[in-house]
Amino acid sequence: MIHSDHQFDAIVIGAGHNGLIAAAYLGKAGKRVLLLEAATRLGGALTTAEVSPDYRVSTGAHLLDALPRRIEKDLKLAKHGLRFAARQLQTIALDRDHNHIVLALGRGNLDILRRHSAADADAFAAYLARMKSYSAVLGPLLRDALPDIEPETMSRRLRRLVWRAQRLGGETLESLMRQLPGSIGDLLNDTFETPLIKGALALDALMGSGEGPYSAGTALTSIARQSLRSISKGPHSIEGGLGGFTDALAASAASYGVVIRAATDVKRILVSDGHVYGIETQTNEIYEAPFVLSSAHPRETMLDLVGAKYLDAGLVKQLNEITDTGTTAKLNLSLDGLPTIQGLAPQEYGARILVAPSLVALDDAYTAFKHGGIASDIPMEVTMPSVIDAPLVPSGQHVMSIVMQYVPYEIKGGWEQGRDRLVDRAIETLSAYAPDLRQRIVAGELMLPPDIENKFGLVNGGWYHGDMRLDQLLSFRPAPALARYATPVKGLYLCGAGSHPGGGICGLPGEYAARLVLSEGARA
Amino acid sequence: MSDDTKLNSIVEPPPLVADVNDANTTPRPPPVPRLNLAALDEISRADPALFEDRRADPPFSRQVMTTPLHFYVASESLTNLWCNWNGYTVADQLTSLDDEYAALRHGAALADISPLVKYRISGPDALAWLRRLVTGNLVSLSVDEIIPVVFCEDRGLVVGDGLLFRLGDSEFRLVTEERHLAWFMDSAIGHNVRIEDVSKTLAAMSLQGPLSCAVLSEAGFSGIENLRCYTAHWFNVTGMPVYVSRSGNSGDLGYELWVDPDDAPAFWLRLLDKGKAYGVKAGGFALREIARIEAGIPRAGVDYLGAFSAVDPQSALTPFELGFSALVDLNGEHFTGREALRKAKTLPPRYILATLAVDWSAPLTFAAIRDGSGVAGIATSTGFSHALGINLALATLRPAAIADGAVLHVQAEVREELSLRVISAAARILAGPAVLLPARHLVPAPLVTRR
Repeated sequence: MIHSDHQFDAIVIGAGHNGLIAAAYLGKAGKRVLLLEAATRLGGALTTAEVSPDYRVSTGAHLLDALPRRIEKDLKLAKHGLRFAARQLQTIALDRDHNHIVLALGRGNLDILRRHSAADADAFAAYLARMKSYSAVLGPLLRDALPDIEPETMSRRLRRLVWRAQRLGGETLESLMRQLPGSIGDLLNDTFETPLIKGALALDALMGSGEGPYSAGTALTSIARQSLRSISKGPHSIEGGLGGFTDALAASAASYGVVIRAATDVKRILVSDGHVYGIETQTNEIYEAPFVLSSAHPRETMLDLVGAKYLDAGLVKQLNEITDTGTTAKLNLSLDGLPTIQGLAPQEYGARILVAPSLVALDDAYTAFKHGGIASDIPMEVTMPSVIDAPLVPSGQHVMSIVMQYVPYEIKGGWEQGRDRLVDRAIETLSAYAPDLRQRIVAGELMLPPDIENKFGLVNGGWYHGDMRLDQLLSFRPAPALARYATPVKGLYLCGAGSHPGGGICGLPGEYAARLVLSEGARA
Repeated sequence: MSDDTKLNSIVEPPPLVADVNDANTTPRPPPVPRLNLAALDEISRADPALFEDRRADPPFSRQVMTTPLHFYVASESLTNLWCNWNGYTVADQLTSLDDEYAALRHGAALADISPLVKYRISGPDALAWLRRLVTGNLVSLSVDEIIPVVFCEDRGLVVGDGLLFRLGDSEFRLVTEERHLAWFMDSAIGHNVRIEDVSKTLAAMSLQGPLSCAVLSEAGFSGIENLRCYTAHWFNVTGMPVYVSRSGNSGDLGYELWVDPDDAPAFWLRLLDKGKAYGVKAGGFALREIARIEAGIPRAGVDYLGAFSAVDPQSALTPFELGFSALVDLNGEHFTGREALRKAKTLPPRYILATLAVDWSAPLTFAAIRDGSGVAGIATSTGFSHALGINLALATLRPAAIADGAVLHVQAEVREELSLRVISAAARILAGPAVLLPARHLVPAPLVTRR
């Protein structure tokens, strides 16, 4: 069959990782796929660029958290150049007194924890086991494709959930029911006494979210995150930064015949009598396809690209109410040598480092954030990828990649003045652990939430296309009528982080949407 | 000592009257008021205005309202029977229901219908917004035309119904029984449209009956007989502009007048005056109710619950179940609930709204409609039709109740002084409205000479 070059089997909008994964799956199934990206480069927030000449680092996201092995294998990513600089990075909570805690089991790790508190060392194993059992109960619900909402399937599904919980014993079920609606802060206070381990575990649960350690529902969101991460036993560090991951996905998609067009902004999705039939670009080019998948924000897809007049009013209202909270800033630094962090073993410099001394500090930072200010102690997630991936930088040099949590989108007095203050505070906070950091800085770049919004097209600089809050998860993500990737516009599907199971570089929305399209296509 | 300093010497905050705007903020611990009673006394004597509550009414704070015609209607009342319609005090009966009914069916009945909710919809996207809101097809709606509409939410359940007027290219009026502003505003996301509740600034009265056209003609509405059913026209009567639509819910010839509240009394008096020779009488709400029951018109909030009012979604109905099928166009442009209604159309209805006749020659009170096996439905509106001499009801019935061979009856208690009888009266479903007169559609409308 001869196709014109404006006709495809499916069009995917947005070449972030979810869009790439969806396109690759469709291509692999033999479909003629067109993948369109508004930006000039692919990958969305997963990209590697230079901080300063010859110093390269992941510009936005810097760790691969939750990509299932299945996707890696299905799309033959290793063959297309995906290399892990390190799998299963250790997470280390920095201590002012140099007794840094490794957040993992192991005799050496527990010995250090015992120096803080003997009780906590014992409680830690029990805590990890408990989180594991919670995630075993809820995991399938939180990360598998949602069942359809037919009462029959739904009740079978819920019965299975209860059965799984019962099998783990009444105690698990009871504590699960008690703790799910609560806050991660309360859960940790119930379990530990050392401020450092509480602070670090809470930050781990809250990275990228707009909620505080004592916000209700954060216990569940933290379990959700845990269970997503447990699919791939992440976090992992990628050779060449996360741009390397994007390159491998793009190569894989291209190998399946996916036509990829960057710098092609979609103006609208074409709908006729409730059916999608293609898209129109900003340059008024029309591409036709019976299926369109959009990895853009659900609100942008449905309201800007489709248009409210093709949708029911209640749905439009729900889409309009999706909240995106920008809570992080990214600071990338070029260093002329490795800063000295006292008490950190040489092999631990490549780890994922958390700076969150206590729940109190975290809550203070959250309070400052809520009121449009900057905390004095900024909670941070730090990596130095050049330690485990030397080719990123000239020999002997290093890069540091810092995600600062609780940085508001808007700050009192404006970011003009606040920018330098934020960088100064961040370096000051880190200098408490690495006193020589300031001398080592050669260059740096700071991305505030508005910069993240501009650069990666993420609304308000929020990471997830809709906050991963209790009321925006599962069947409510992004809206009840859209929870299963399909939309009321026949042939149009959502395949981005705004759909279940959500954001966090798991690639699952892309995979599930593509699989759904393939099964619907087969039925049609 | 000036008044200001005197005031300060009397009261430290708190204010004597709590500020309504403070209700949302965190309650402050009440500071101990230090009240100097003697000084207070002196000031209140000096200037009582200081203690007046001068807040403007917050929106919707006033729950008991009167219409612009209230005093003119009240002066017709011989019964002092009043009722509440949409928060407005309206006459239930003015003279007697029998007299008013006789006027309605043989002459003309004038009524104050200002409590209806009226929305003005304007702006570049007004038509697009309406097309997405209502289930019907608005393509052929021209200026000065009227169309009955029904609007649903996403699940295809009816939110409300009303009458849509096209006043201009992009100006419309939607008249409804209940308030829907919140839903309208939600529906307006993504539309450049202005939606105003103009209920208070627009008075309305209805003149229904076989002689209504003659009365209007007599009152100076020249050419009124050529107005087609469901169209409207601007008239200028004794220097006052008035928008007259040939509409109403009596099942007979009738008109509705939409007029500035200041001019409304003049029209009211003029129509009563000029209509005297035609047997015009002022009617109350009870008359309006029996007229619409005879005409088989369900009333929102009474005969059906809006989708957002029903606590149990099972209690909200689709347009098909309410008998509004003719107002639904599933093949036109997209509207809210279209997909759900396409699906609903393939399913058997859960309920059916029908007009029921109960053959009993005196008014009865009943709710349950029974068949052989038990309760088959409920009567949501009941009334006694003087013209037919039977009880009528609008009833929501299970489909089984309208199957061939179903025998329905109602039970009622009939009290005569100190004796009480429980009677069982046969009920039958009418194929259509009990009263639907061809004069509604006649053009030119009958201009009967004065009696």
